[in-house]
Parts: sequence; C-alpha cells; structure tokens
Amino acid sequence: MIEDFLLRYNYVVFALLLGIGLYIVIDDENLVKKVIGLNIFQTGIFLFFITVAVRDGGSPAVTHGGEGTFVNPLPHVLILTAIVVGVSLTALALALVVRIHEEYGSIREDVVVEVLERD
Amino acid sequence: MITWIEGGLLLFVVLTALMTAMLRDVLAAIIVFGGYSLGMAILWVVLQAPDVGLTEAAVGAGVMTVLFLVTIARTTRMTGLEVTTVDVNWSAAVLCVVFVFAVLATVPALPAVGAGPEANPAFGEVSSYYIENAYDDTHVENVVTAVLVAYRGFDTFGEATVVFAAGVAVLTVLRREVFE
Repeated sequence: MIEDFLLRYNYVVFALLLGIGLYIVIDDENLVKKVIGLNIFQTGIFLFFITVAVRDGGSPAVTHGGEGTFVNPLPHVLILTAIVVGVSLTALALALVVRIHEEYGSIREDVVVEVLERD
Repeated sequence: MITWIEGGLLLFVVLTALMTAMLRDVLAAIIVFGGYSLGMAILWVVLQAPDVGLTEAAVGAGVMTVLFLVTIARTTRMTGLEVTTVDVNWSAAVLCVVFVFAVLATVPALPAVGAGPEANPAFGEVSSYYIENAYDDTHVENVVTAVLVAYRGFDTFGEATVVFAAGVAVLTVLRREVFE
C-alpha cells in the first residue's frame, strides 16, 4: 500500500497541487489570487502528463530514426499547447478583474457582492 | 527511483504552492507564485521535458508574473509588503482534503513513475511511430517540434486561434464604451 504511493511519488504531488489550487479558488476572496489558484490547479495537471511521459533511462526525443531509449514526446506537445492556452486564459481573466475593479472599485469578492446588494 | 534533486524540487513546489495559498498580501503571493513557476520549469527539465521547461520558464514564470503585476498595479493601492497569513476556512479545507484523498485513491492504479512501454499504456503505437519516422518525414531532429508543427500542425493552428480570440476579448473587455 505505502509502496504503491512511494513508486508513484509524482502523482501524490499532483493530487496535493490540485487540492491547494482548489482551496484557493474556493476560499480566497481576492480575485487575483483566485486566478493564481486556477494556475496552480493547471500546473498540477501538467505534472500528471509529464510524469506519464517519463521513462527510466530515457532522454528527450531528439533523434535521427529512433535508436535508443526516449521519453514519450506526445504528452510534451499537449502540455506545450496547454501552457500557451493557459496564459491566454489568465490574460483574459485578469482583464475581467481590471474591468470589475473599474465598475465596483474593488477586487475582493465580498466587497463586490456588498456593492451589488446595495444597488 | 527518486533522486535528491527531484525530491527537493517536488517539496519546493508544494511548499511554495502552500505559501501562495496562505499569504494574504497579493504582491507577496505573486512573488512566491513566480518562484513556484520557476521550480516547475526546472522540474520539467529534470523530468526530461526541456521544451516544456523552456516554455514554462519564459511564459509561466516570465509573462504570467508580468501580467499579474500589471493587474495589481492598476487595481491595488500598495502600502508596502506585509507578510500576514489568511484565516483558514475549515469547511473549504476539509472539502479540499476529501478531494485530494479521492484523487489519491486512483493513484495505485496508475503505472509507476518511469515504467517502460510494457507497463505504461501512454506509450502507444503513435508515440513510437513519431520517434521512428519524424526525421524521415519532416527532417526535424526534435520529435516534439516535428509533432507540434508538422504532424499536429492543425492543433497548433487551433492554439493560435485561441490566443487571437483571447487577445480580441482582452481588448474588448478593457476598452471604454463611448456613446456620442
């Protein structure tokens, strides 16, 4: 049982990062920190994919025809795409935060809810 | 088997993620998050994914931190760096711990870290085809580049579309509406 987890240490860290990211998204009142939480959750999933690609004694897949032991290049490609999409998403989320600040004068969720209830 | 550098980096990213969650001051959280991204970038290199490491260092630790700093420069009044922690919301914390245990319950079913093709279903026919034929088909030595821009170039085109759409959306959101 314990050995199962020791052999899969990266996946344990993956689960912990998902939990920490989820906690920030749920609990933190600051909208900028919510976006940071989203990013931590996302990098946790990246860790899962990169770990799946790892192979003992494997080197990065730079080759002239497949002689040797290589890590799996396919998850790397997926995560490269995901990182760029994640940055686009972060930029849009932060633009919305700036816009919310212009409308309600705060980037704290509780203050925004208060202003909405008052009007 | 886990190496010291790998174990140290994993510990570092978990600790910086926890610190980000606990710090009340947004500026402090952003700085620690920058360190977290850098730790992740080094971890990708250790896990034999240098392309991902480069992208994470340039985009994750670089561009992302700048975006966060620009946002708080426009929205938060800075009164110097104060290091205080948030009060833990125990019901949310318990929910997240339950979530972590639910994910951990699936971990023993996954292949061990570093398992070869015989034990790891992620090494399918497609991956070995790419490794064997990438140079002949595309004349690119780096298989990751070959897949990104040649075999799956259409996906990358879709990615560029997403970036363009996000750029348009950011401009739309930030521009003031003026009615004459």
